Amino acid sequence: MRGENKRSVIVGVFVFIGLAILVVGILTLGGQQKKFVKAIHLKAVFDDIGGLQTGNNIWFSGVKIGTVRKINFYGDSQVEIEMNVEEAVVDFIRKDSKATISSDGLIGNKIIVIYGGTTLAPPVQDGDRLESVMPLDTDKMMETLQVNNENLVEITADLKTLTSKLAAGEGIVGAVMTDSTLAENFRSILKNLNTASISSNKMIRELNTFTGKLNTKGNLFNDLVTDTLLVGEIRNTMESFKATAQNSEEMTEELKAITSKINSGDNAMGLLLNDKAFAQTLKSTMESTDSAAYNLNRGLEALEYTWPFRGGFKKKAKEEAKSDN
Amino acid sequence: MSVEEDDKKPFLSKKFDKFFTGLANAWSFVSRFFKEVLLPPYEFKEIIHQCYRIGVESLPLISLTGFIVGLVFTNQSRPSLTEFGAASWLPSLISIAVVRAMGPLVTALIAAGKVGSSIGAEIGSMKVTEQIDAMEVSATNPFKFLVVSRVLATTFMIPLLVMYTDFVALMGSFLSVNANEMVSMSTFFVQVFESITFLDIFSSVLKSILFGFTIGIVGCYKGYNSSKGTEGVGQAANSAVVISMFLIFIEELLALQIVNAIRAL
Repeated sequence: MRGENKRSVIVGVFVFIGLAILVVGILTLGGQQKKFVKAIHLKAVFDDIGGLQTGNNIWFSGVKIGTVRKINFYGDSQVEIEMNVEEAVVDFIRKDSKATISSDGLIGNKIIVIYGGTTLAPPVQDGDRLESVMPLDTDKMMETLQVNNENLVEITADLKTLTSKLAAGEGIVGAVMTDSTLAENFRSILKNLNTASISSNKMIRELNTFTGKLNTKGNLFNDLVTDTLLVGEIRNTMESFKATAQNSEEMTEELKAITSKINSGDNAMGLLLNDKAFAQTLKSTMESTDSAAYNLNRGLEALEYTWPFRGGFKKKAKEEAKSDN
Repeated sequence: MSVEEDDKKPFLSKKFDKFFTGLANAWSFVSRFFKEVLLPPYEFKEIIHQCYRIGVESLPLISLTGFIVGLVFTNQSRPSLTEFGAASWLPSLISIAVVRAMGPLVTALIAAGKVGSSIGAEIGSMKVTEQIDAMEVSATNPFKFLVVSRVLATTFMIPLLVMYTDFVALMGSFLSVNANEMVSMSTFFVQVFESITFLDIFSSVLKSILFGFTIGIVGCYKGYNSSKGTEGVGQAANSAVVISMFLIFIEELLALQIVNAIRAL
């Protein structure tokens, strides 16, 4: 008898726990799906609900505030959504709030998102209809993607042609890729370019050093660039140079006139320089003069030993010897 | 042709005649159950006793099976979901799988194996040892005492066992999810209940009631109609399990169609 009683108690406990699991499950589910909370009904009309179903969630500021209660056709082909929204959050949803259809993940369930609303508008009331905003249409996105795909096909076709030409060695690039000599030349050019770039780098470094020196104060070039007084002096010097050059030009002109006159031969200098007969005459004259001077010199020497000039010459020789001592 | 010879001749064929006769007998057995279940006297003590045997004594086996199912199913599903970057959907996936299908189905199959065979063998051995006849002689209604009590016990206990299985399977799944995805218990159960609906729970309960009734009625029917001595007992136990499991799958399929039709409304 006691054993039967014990068995009954165990069965009772078993049933109790089993039913408790069921009840807790139902209550949790109901609580989570807002089945047992006070709710108001809001409506929104969409052209396309994209697979939204009864029981899908309503989100406001990222918080689940209710579920889709009913889906009805409205007007010609629109769809009216009736929503159960928790009464506790009604104060936060304004009459100018908007409703749109979104999803709770990349490939998640469809949801209705209520957003916007200003404090200027009063809170929503039971039966209010929210302004609906159509979500991004995936079909339109797919259409755009299709255009992209077609473009991609064309691009790849062009690329295919290009690469086949390259592989066949057509064109400059193709030739570079297939002709080993050309490639070697190209490599050599690149090598030279590399050397040139190294040299240019070096030159730039040196130029930098040079310009650094130029920028040093007290340097002529620096003074040229920075000293305004020096610039004035240089300008004056240049003016003088200019005047001198002008004078030289005038002088050259005059010299040119003189030389042309000399070359013309109708004057003494021209005759002297250009007339051969005159030159011969002048030469013979000069020879005659030389001979006369020689004879004159011999005559004078003879005169030194001749009276009355002999005493005078002796006296002069004595004075010269005296001044030498 | 004499009347006796005409009686022995099969109506359609031997196999068809046997099948349809068996179906008619089964129908009459089920009808008798519904008739007897409503009429007093009610064998409460025997019902409690059978509830203890079917429910409480099956609990360890069912719990272990449910735990392993939850754990293994989670670990097997993880790679596929991870491939899509949807490992966070594991709780939802497991809850749908366990509550909608695996909980009732696994529990019913385990119970068909353990309880169905036990009922078939027990009643079969009572039948072949003429204990049932003896009960009739002693003014005890054997159908009410043996069949009604067992069928009611299975009908009540299987749904409760399904509740336990669901809970234990979800706990097994939680252990795996917690160890791998570091998901807390509250987050796990929030996600579990996010993806199931009342329809899932009610359909699960109704299905398990149907499964329990099937296990009990098939086991009792096979045992009650066993013959051929001890060999018949073995056959009764075996066919009770096989037919129960077969019917459970058929019922699961039909229930799925009905629930989907209701879901689409």
